[in-house]
Amino acid sequence: MSAWVSVVGAGVIWLALLGPVIALLTHLSGNAIANALTAPGALDPLVTSVESGLVTLGVLFVLCTPLAWMLARGRLPFPRVWETGVLCSLLLPPLVIGLLLVFMVGPYTPIGQLLAHLNQSATNTFLALVIAEVYESAPYYVLGAQAAFASVEPRLEQQAGLLGDRPRRVFRRVTLPLAAPGLAMALSIAWARAMGAFGAVIIIAYHPAGLPLQIYTTLQETGLASALPYALVLLVVALPLPLAAYIWSARAGRRRRG
Amino acid sequence: MLDADVEVDRREFTVRVALQVASGERLALFGPSGAGKTTLLEAVAGLVQPRRGRISLGDRILTSTAPPVRAIPPWQRRVGLLRQDPGLFPHLSVRDNLCYARSAPRSEAELSSLVSVLGIDGLLTAMPARLSGGQAHRVALGRLLLAQCDTLLLDEPYTGLDASLRRSLTDLVSSLVAERSVPSILVTHELTDAQAFADRLAVLDRGEVLQVGAPNELVLRPASRRVAELIGYLGFVPSGDAMAGVHPERVVAGAFADRGLVLTGTVVAFRPAGAGWEADLRVGEETITFRLLDRPPSPEEQLVFTALNPPYFGADGNAISPARVTSGHTRPEQVH
Repeated sequence: MSAWVSVVGAGVIWLALLGPVIALLTHLSGNAIANALTAPGALDPLVTSVESGLVTLGVLFVLCTPLAWMLARGRLPFPRVWETGVLCSLLLPPLVIGLLLVFMVGPYTPIGQLLAHLNQSATNTFLALVIAEVYESAPYYVLGAQAAFASVEPRLEQQAGLLGDRPRRVFRRVTLPLAAPGLAMALSIAWARAMGAFGAVIIIAYHPAGLPLQIYTTLQETGLASALPYALVLLVVALPLPLAAYIWSARAGRRRRG
Repeated sequence: MLDADVEVDRREFTVRVALQVASGERLALFGPSGAGKTTLLEAVAGLVQPRRGRISLGDRILTSTAPPVRAIPPWQRRVGLLRQDPGLFPHLSVRDNLCYARSAPRSEAELSSLVSVLGIDGLLTAMPARLSGGQAHRVALGRLLLAQCDTLLLDEPYTGLDASLRRSLTDLVSSLVAERSVPSILVTHELTDAQAFADRLAVLDRGEVLQVGAPNELVLRPASRRVAELIGYLGFVPSGDAMAGVHPERVVAGAFADRGLVLTGTVVAFRPAGAGWEADLRVGEETITFRLLDRPPSPEEQLVFTALNPPYFGADGNAISPARVTSGHTRPEQVH
């Protein structure tokens, strides 16, 4: 009896969470989807979003994984100060981050001028889009990866060391494989944030438009009916990666349990 | 030969230990929790840095705080450390765990002969999560042996395992240590484990080695009252100008003046214990615990008993010869 109650309760909550998706599906017509997808250049934002999302994940993995590991292992002096820094970037609304990024990497800043020297710009370019997506998703990745590393028993790393592995080898053979399921989850959350990034993007990377911006501009120019199909596209394109991460994590857990 | 002479600072006290363990020798470090036993092993393994000291293993100097200063990192020490938690890598199969060390031989014959000695045949493809506690310990031990460690440090490895499993693992380690001829140290707070394993027993308390000797010598002739307390002497009764230590397992009912110290006490409490009963007796101001094998005592019963050949301690707590006790009833040459 109580098992049924909890299943029904979970079902109600699940449907409530899915409410917007259900609303999306019920307000779409085949015609609208066909029109939206066949318009000239309609799929360019899709490609831009996927490309910038993948580059963002690469940047996060390379730059933020070591930080997360050091936070998890207490390798940094004054750890609360470092954590507070990560939380600050999490707490700022993305729109504000976008505005502040203008002060940081805009054309009249030292960084902007340095980029100009290299014939690059961090406003309204693919680079700007990646920067905006990195800033919107990094804290989620750092906190998730920190938790993933914290779940790895330090005694195991110590044991691997005593068995003759240098720290770098211990990281590759023990720490990384054991943290991998958690890292995959953290990456999928970061991916979702990057794909949906809008607040900072609209300020510093109006061009080239990714999917969220395409939805917004279409809404402005031609109305809700023609904007909604792109929301479906966003879902369909963004879903496989986190889904694969979930399946892979569950498999890794099952394999460990034998 | 493992030679360690170190001082390691801990929050409450400094661990000061100088020990030598010969190749093939088995030393047990016995002492209460928090005595600094694990700290010493961690210093040998290079996991904690001593404030002062020198550790050498064979002809290699692992740690030296005096010039030329050395601190060989743990991964170059070839020190095998087995803890209570076997520490198997959960993402690797038993086979991959066994062969984890790069120094592990790649020959299938050596692996399979060790696997059968350890009694873990048929588990090579299993994942660690599927193993019982005893199996996991055997795999962890095998992993250290395959890594060709130059010494084996066992940090309370059998805690939580049942008595027969502990005994069989102890026997296994003893024979493997003898075969490989490496020095080994077992840290334990169980005297029976220490006795079953060791050639030599060292009693450690608050960072200091109080006594080193053959296991039986320590039990029968503790050098101080503190060692006696740690080793299981539960009661101390005045005898002449000294205190006699009474061990619950070294007491017989009846008066046998030629075998030890005859005492009379009143039963204040009793309970079933092991194959018999355990009674608390009041002897003067002291309470003595006493094992009776043949019958349960009655409350308030007066019992005459003999503490067999007890150790005596002077006012300073150090052991004194029974011959020097003014009114002891002992024949020290007689040990039962």
